[in-house]
Amino acid sequence: MLSSYLTMAAILFCIGLYGALTKRNAVIVLMSVELMLNSVNLNLVAFSKYGVVPSLTGQIFSLFTISVAAAEVAVGVAILIALFRSRGSANVDEFNEMRR
Amino acid sequence: METVLSQYAWLVPVFPLAAFLILLAFGRGMKRTGPVIATLGSLASLVLSALVLIEQLGGADEYNNGFDWIQIGGYTLTVGFDVTNLTALMMVVVSLVAFLVNVYSIGYMKDDERISVFFAYVALFTCSMLGLVIADNLLMLYIFWELVGLCSFLLIGFWYYKPEAKAAAKKAFIVTRVGDVGFLIALLLLFWYMPDHDLSFAAIANVFGQTGLITEGITTLIAILIFLGAVGKSGQFPLHVWLPDAMEGPTPISALIHAATMVAAGVFLVARTFPIFEASPAALDTVAWVGAFTAIFAASIAIAQDDIKRILAYSTVSQLGYMMMALGLGSVTAAMFHLFTHAFFKALLFLGAGSVIHAVHTQNIHEMGGLGKTMKTTAWTFAVGALALAGIPPLSGFWSKDAILAEALHDHPALFAIGIAAALLTALYMSRLFFLVFAGKPRKGASGHESPAVMTVPLVVLALLAVVAGFVEMPFEGTGWFGEWLTGHAAAHEGTALVMLVSTAVGLLGIYLGWLIYVKGAIPRDAVTKRMPWLTRLLERKYYIDEIYHAVFVVSLRAIGRAFDAFDRHVVGGAVRLAGGAAVWTGRAATRMQNGQLQSYGLYAVIGLVILAAAIAGRRFW
Amino acid sequence: MGGFYIDWSGELVAFFAFAVVMIVGAVLMLTLTKVVHMVASLAAVFLGLGGMFVVLEAEFVAFTQVLLYAGAVTILLIFGIMMTDHQAVQREPVRPAHEIVSAVASIVLFGILFYAIRTTEFAPSAPPLQAGVDNAMEIGKQLYTQHVIPFELVSVLLTVAFIGAIVIAKKEAE
Repeated sequence: MLSSYLTMAAILFCIGLYGALTKRNAVIVLMSVELMLNSVNLNLVAFSKYGVVPSLTGQIFSLFTISVAAAEVAVGVAILIALFRSRGSANVDEFNEMRR
Repeated sequence: METVLSQYAWLVPVFPLAAFLILLAFGRGMKRTGPVIATLGSLASLVLSALVLIEQLGGADEYNNGFDWIQIGGYTLTVGFDVTNLTALMMVVVSLVAFLVNVYSIGYMKDDERISVFFAYVALFTCSMLGLVIADNLLMLYIFWELVGLCSFLLIGFWYYKPEAKAAAKKAFIVTRVGDVGFLIALLLLFWYMPDHDLSFAAIANVFGQTGLITEGITTLIAILIFLGAVGKSGQFPLHVWLPDAMEGPTPISALIHAATMVAAGVFLVARTFPIFEASPAALDTVAWVGAFTAIFAASIAIAQDDIKRILAYSTVSQLGYMMMALGLGSVTAAMFHLFTHAFFKALLFLGAGSVIHAVHTQNIHEMGGLGKTMKTTAWTFAVGALALAGIPPLSGFWSKDAILAEALHDHPALFAIGIAAALLTALYMSRLFFLVFAGKPRKGASGHESPAVMTVPLVVLALLAVVAGFVEMPFEGTGWFGEWLTGHAAAHEGTALVMLVSTAVGLLGIYLGWLIYVKGAIPRDAVTKRMPWLTRLLERKYYIDEIYHAVFVVSLRAIGRAFDAFDRHVVGGAVRLAGGAAVWTGRAATRMQNGQLQSYGLYAVIGLVILAAAIAGRRFW
Repeated sequence: MGGFYIDWSGELVAFFAFAVVMIVGAVLMLTLTKVVHMVASLAAVFLGLGGMFVVLEAEFVAFTQVLLYAGAVTILLIFGIMMTDHQAVQREPVRPAHEIVSAVASIVLFGILFYAIRTTEFAPSAPPLQAGVDNAMEIGKQLYTQHVIPFELVSVLLTVAFIGAIVIAKKEAE
């Protein structure tokens, strides 16, 4: 059963990765990142039940992940709004400040 | 007897060297005085060398002096000079011809822009040639040997704006280089095999005089390699091809370098290292046969040439062949005697030819004619030179050629026959040359005028020498002191009466034939051409030697050169360009990757991760 | 992996049901054009994942998932969309090379992961965890004993993120 969950998580992760790499709207990129984080959570919980050493720690780990992800989304959306205000766009490919 | 002046013999080459340095430093502003300085330098050499010769004739001891030049470990290179009878004689010949040519050139080169450069080169040549003559070891001789080669190159290409002159200079340099490589190898072998690595001529004579010190095979090898150098310098077959082309240089240069002195350096070299040749019969035979073949080969080409200087050039090649033949027969005396007389009459002929060219501005003998009436001095002196070359008694050429032929008859009848045949051809082509140029009616209105005194006086002096130079060694009882003085033993004189008769008859026959053909017209000129056109063509094209060399060496070497060039350009250069280009290309690609787009960076990270994971996973499979 | 033997248990049926929901939601999120529809499909994925947590007998995590993700995060994202260009529609791709390479890289990565999953031998040293009964209580105990320091740190982090988000979002408005 474990490998089914892991495969499921891999599928989710890769879809999220593809979205994060290709989508131009920053909000959707953020959503894709959330998808990837979720796939990790699925892994953690699956291992907590079917892992080599089954224990509750995996679930606790996923709880921490969820809270950190929540904080990340909050800050991310705040940054997006700030960027949108200053640049008038939320398209990722229009930001190339790192080049300078 | 004491040696007083011989101690100062080292000054002889120094005078022209000083003249050369002065001309080199201040030459540009000395169009008038420059030639005078060079002439004075050669005059000083002439006077001093004449005094040295007189002292040597008076029976002075041989003199040798020198100093250490470089010390390499336990070996010392020395620089020194040798005054022997042979070198004293050569010094006088060289400085005399050089002086006369200098005087002559004042008139001949009067209108040239670069006259001071010309005289500087001539002075440098005179210095190097005299240095070559008095050098007391082979290494020094080799240095001066290359220096005269350099001067020859510079002077042949003096009119470098003429493409033919440029090509001829290159050809002379490259062809003689082939021989020089042989000489250099011989030098290295000698250095290797000589006790104490001593390269002085005295030591060479000493070592090779005794049997068993050096094996016969090595001796022969060294001798042949030295002879190879002489072949290149003296224009012997098969390296003779550069000498006729060298006539593109100014005519005084042809007289000085390519008739009287430098080309005789090969003969001189063999004479100087003669103990090596004496120790190897095989090498002597080679020298004799190459010389004999060259003598008749070049004489036959000379018959079919139309350029006055080329005829004389082939004649020079042929006469040098005679000298080599004499050396091969073991007679240094005869060879040096012929060198001595030949220097005068061939220089005379060249200077006469220069006078003619100066007057009519062409070198084709078919465009000349009847010049005997307008250029009396030139014609008379030229006639003397031609008769001397043809071997008509009592002129100098007769005696020296006679000495060689007598040696040949004594040792080797076959070589004697070849020598006689070559003598016939010599007389024929000289009479053809003389009659076409000076006799008959003027053609194409080229009347000509006599050259100025500064040019005719050297002709007269040389003509006098050409007449009398032979009297130093006559095959009569009590007159053969020259040979004894020069080498210690007299020339062979057995059967001389026969030789004298035959050679005179042959010479006269040749001249008579020439007269019949070119003056009287009793024999039509195209008699041979009509019956055997291939023969005339063969001679005109010089036996296609140049063409063969072109096909065999030039084309193949050029092909190899092209191949290497292509390899260098495309493979080596391509690799270099590829390395550089790869760096640039990588840099460009990397620059384009740095586009500031977060997603691009993310993609690169993912690709890197994929590659890393694939590598780790893939390790299972091998 | 030998024969592909499938034991049709209730867990498996539920797993497949939720998996279908999640994959469809994820794919829709990528393919839909309107941003709001994308957020809706993402919410479906979050809900499906919550269901899967239930199947895995992690009820507390499942509820947290539904509350936080399907609730808070989704609402936050909708706010984010509203405050930027909420009318926005995903335009036609203008970077075909980039998209193709990304797709290939993702698929290859999945291939590698899948290969790793299929070839790895998972040998549990103990029977699967049966935490269904007192799940929430157990987690609470552990959080307040074993993991109390990280727990407190997370609360600090959340406070900082909360204040930081307000500061960042407000700064330009002044």
